[in-house]
Order: sequence, then C-alpha cells, then structure tokens
Amino acid sequence: MNWLVWRQYRTQGALALALLAAFTAVALWQGFQVASQWHSMVATCAGNSQCLRPGDLIRGVANGVPYLTLIVPVVLGALWGAPLVASELESRTSDFAWSQSVTRVRWLAVKAGWLLLAAAACGGVVAALVTWWSGPENAQLANAFISPQFDTQGIVPIGYAVFAMALGIAAGAVVRRTLPAIAVVFAGFIGLRYVIDGFIRPHLMAAVTTYFNVTGNFSPPGAAWVLNQGAVSPTGQAVSEVYGFWLYATLPASCQKLVPGGAPTKGASSSLNALYSCMQANGWREFVTYQPASRYWPFQGIETGIYLLLAAALIAVTFAIVRRRDA
Amino acid sequence: MSTAIETRALSKRYRRVSALTECTITVPEGRLSALIGPNGAGKTTLLRLLAGMASPTDGTAAILGDAPRQDPAFLAEVGYLAQEIPLYRRFTAEDHIQIGAHMNPRWDAAFVRTRLAELRIPLDQRVGTLSGGQRAQVALTLTLAKRPRLLLLDEPVAALDPLARRNFLATLTSAVADAEGGLTVVLSSHLVTDLERVCDHLILLAASRVQLCGDIDTIMAEHKVLIGPRKDTAPIERTHTVVQTVTTARQSSLLVRLGGPVIDPAYQVEDVSFEELVLAYMGADDAAAVRHLTTVGED
Repeated sequence: MNWLVWRQYRTQGALALALLAAFTAVALWQGFQVASQWHSMVATCAGNSQCLRPGDLIRGVANGVPYLTLIVPVVLGALWGAPLVASELESRTSDFAWSQSVTRVRWLAVKAGWLLLAAAACGGVVAALVTWWSGPENAQLANAFISPQFDTQGIVPIGYAVFAMALGIAAGAVVRRTLPAIAVVFAGFIGLRYVIDGFIRPHLMAAVTTYFNVTGNFSPPGAAWVLNQGAVSPTGQAVSEVYGFWLYATLPASCQKLVPGGAPTKGASSSLNALYSCMQANGWREFVTYQPASRYWPFQGIETGIYLLLAAALIAVTFAIVRRRDA
Repeated sequence: MSTAIETRALSKRYRRVSALTECTITVPEGRLSALIGPNGAGKTTLLRLLAGMASPTDGTAAILGDAPRQDPAFLAEVGYLAQEIPLYRRFTAEDHIQIGAHMNPRWDAAFVRTRLAELRIPLDQRVGTLSGGQRAQVALTLTLAKRPRLLLLDEPVAALDPLARRNFLATLTSAVADAEGGLTVVLSSHLVTDLERVCDHLILLAASRVQLCGDIDTIMAEHKVLIGPRKDTAPIERTHTVVQTVTTARQSSLLVRLGGPVIDPAYQVEDVSFEELVLAYMGADDAAAVRHLTTVGED
C-alpha cells in the first residue's frame, strides 16, 4: 500500500518539497535581513518610540509571506485531498485499487494517513518559518489574537492544514467528483475560518473585564485582545460606545451640562476633567473587556484542537462512505 | 465438485429501479461461464455483487463458500475486471506490476512480464498510450497475476478488434487450462459466437432476472425446435415449455424446452443453434421472464 502512495504522489511530493525549500530560502534570507535592520533600528531609535516601526520594513515586497500559511493548507486540500477518492471514482481506477487484496478501509487509512501527515508537516514548516520571520513585528503587536498574526503563526496553521486536507478527502468521497470537491474545500475552509475568526475565537475562554475610575486610566498589558470597552452607569448599565451620543443620553442631567457641544469625546482636553469628575462622583466607572496576552498559547491550543476535531469527524465520515457505499 | 458461485434470490435495487431481481444461480468450480443478456439486464450488477464491489439489497451470495466481504483473504480469491478496463493511465505496466506485488499475497509478476513480452506490449510505456486491445490485455494479465480462484470479467473484449479478441480469449482459456480446475471464470459479452467457442457454462439474464443457468451442453440438449403445421400449441405446452413461436403462412416453428419426448408426429424435431437459443431468451419480455424462471443443468 505504501508503495502505491509513493508511486501516486512522488512527482507532486517532489514539487511540494521544492516549493517548500524555495520558500524556506526566501524566508531565511528575508528574515535575517529584517532582523539585522531591526537591531540597528533598536540601537538608533533608543528612547524615541516614534521612529521604531519595523512594520514598514517588513511590508513591501514580502507583505504576502504570512498569508502563505493560509494558502498552503487550502491548496494542499484542494490538489491532494479532493482527488484522493473522487479522481479514483471518476477514472474508475477505484475498481483496480479496490479489487486487489487490500480492503478499502486499509487503502483509505494508508492514503489518507500519509496525506494528512504531509499536510501537517507542510503547514508546520511554513508556520514555523513565518513565526520566526515575524519575530520583529510581533514585538510591536498591539493585539496578537487577530489575522494575520494569530492565524499564520504558532500551531494553528497545522490545524488548518490537517482540516483542509480532511475536508478535501471527505468532499471527494461525498460528491464523487474532483472539481466540485475542490470548490467545497475553498468554500468550506474560507467559510469556517470566517466564522471562527469573527464569532468563535473571542469566546474561546471567558473574557476578563476590568473596571476602573473614570478619572483614571487602564489598558491591558501586552498584546491583549480588547473585545469591548466603555463606561458603566451606577445601575450597572454598560455603554460600550465610548463617549458617543448614547453615553451622553444616559448621563445624569448634572453631568450632561458639562459636556461641551453636547457630543463629547474623551481626550486630553482639560475642559473634560469636570465631566469625568462629575461621572466619577455619580458612581460611573469605566471598563475594558479583553483576552489577556498570556492566553495566546491556550488560544492557539484550543483553536488547533477545534480544527483537528472537525478533521477527525470528516475522516470518520469518509471511512463510513468508502466502507459501505457501493464502489 | 465444489461450487464456485452460489446465489439465493440475490437482488439489487437502485432507488426504484431493480437492477437484479431474485437471482439464483450456481456455477461449479473450474467452469468458464458465459454471462449473456441485453444491455441493462443486470450483468454488471451481478458481477459487482459477486466481486464485493456492491452490496445486495436482498438475498445472499456465496463465493467459494463465503459471502463477498471486505477481507484480504476474500479479495485475494476473486479477480474482477470492470468494463472500463480500469488502469492508471499515467502509470506503466511495470508500475502496475509493482502495485499488484505490494497489494496481493500471491502475485505472479513473472507471469505478467512473460505474457506481455509474448504479446509485444512494452512494460515501460504509459498505459494510457497503449491501444485499447493492449490495455485490455494488460488488465486481464494483471487480474490473472493475482492468481484468483474466481475471475469475473465484465465485457472485457467489447472494444477489441477480432485479432485482439482472439488473443485475449486465448490468454483466458490457457489460464483456465493451466489452473486445472482451480480457476472459475464468469465472462460477460455480447459476442455470442466467441462465448460459444470458449465457454461451457451459461448464465442468461433478461429484464433483471435469470432466464437460464447451467451447463451449455445440457441446455442445448434440452432445447429443440419443433417445426410443424400451424395449429393450437396447447397440447405441446402441456408437456413442454414454449420459449418462442415463429409462424409463417403455412407452418410454425416452436422453440421449446423439452419436458419429455415429443410424441406428436406432425412435428419435425430439430436441434437449435446456440445463437438462436440465446436470442430467443434475450428477447423474452417481462411476463415471459417470470414464467421461465428456472434453473437447468447440474445441481
């Protein structure tokens, strides 16, 4: 069985290795350049926070590099995963493969096993390179939990790669045709990423909310993910639209008259200090709801786990189909 | 003699269409069985059920004593060659030999190389660039290299020219002869004369049902053409089964399955040709199909 996999994928595998090697070379060359520039900037800009902008030197030619960690999984899933079952059914070579003395379950286990492993390896290598490459920029991050940092670095790209491959394999087994299966990989991968990025990741762990005085100041340490902030009335009503119209409408009349122009904005202006003191005196507080920077790795672990679980479910479905359905 | 194939009321439905209805057949070991029937009669369905490529909706099948199943031991016993001659078109014959060697417990690579050399089919050329006849030969040879005890071939010669067809059938008959009773073949084809030449057993399907199943010589001996005056066939039908009636202005010719001796002196009894017999049964409509649902030959 292993020999069949080797024979079927040796050309594509060699091509993938060559591309991976080329990418590694570029990333290393670029990365060292960026790192040395970064060090010289740190030296020259010591004490001047305005001049330290490593993002500028990374952007430019290689701006798209981090996105490779998102492109690699979906391409592998489409080009290797989708045809695994579908193209054999289309060309009827399944009739050849499945009439040898190897059960379909074993056939699928060996082929899918190698491809999932290859996906994890490719995803892992690219992610490791991008993580290292992004080091200088990471040091400047205000928020480590959003695209294109969180989802191109660490271990989540491995989860993405395994999931996309499993999605391709399962889609091929369900729709039995390669092209529609490829479409499913793209739609499914992009769709799931959209949902998890936008709606699920913020709630992977219960967010921390910190309350503080209106006259004071607080911001979560490190590259934390601020989900919500605003003011809370004495009755506990939170107004997340910071110093906008709604806040104005909920303020007590005594404070409202302190608002210059009726539509206040929180700023350094000393004329607002009276307003803040009034709010403070009336029992108002400010709050920040956020995911602390220390949760970066737990979040990476949970999100990777979600994708791996979905991949496992898809592979289980594929096994059921290949085993039961008529060839 | 032991039984290679035995099915009981084997049926396969695809949604509302019945592809095979209550198929009960027996094929003894060592036979070369012709599977004949019009397009859509259920030949491919029957072969795929026997090969374990599809599962029946109803009924049972026993291949060399065991039900078709996903098990290396079972798969090793059965060689199945599908109609489309499934080979990896970008792989060479040698690649296929290697794949077979890695996926089968008994694998006769030397046999494939020798046979393909005899046929002057290059081992190192992509299978997709070979002619249709050469591809069919490669596929059959690979199926034989598995050393199966039951070989199921689905219209393998359909696309071949007469010479390639003869070579193909020669490969097949020599394999059966070499196996000395250890190889049973079911071969489906529309080329009745080819089948008559190489086969000694017949399974005839029409309208998804078995019309005939048994030893060809026995079946031939049981069927006669009665030629006589046009008259009521009721007396004949009391003892014999009339399969087909052809009437002209003055006489009628009845193809009958004998139920005893023909007593009526008005009829002249003649042998039936294999092709006539097959065509008569293939033309059977659904109603007749049910009427003739019997198995003849050895039990």
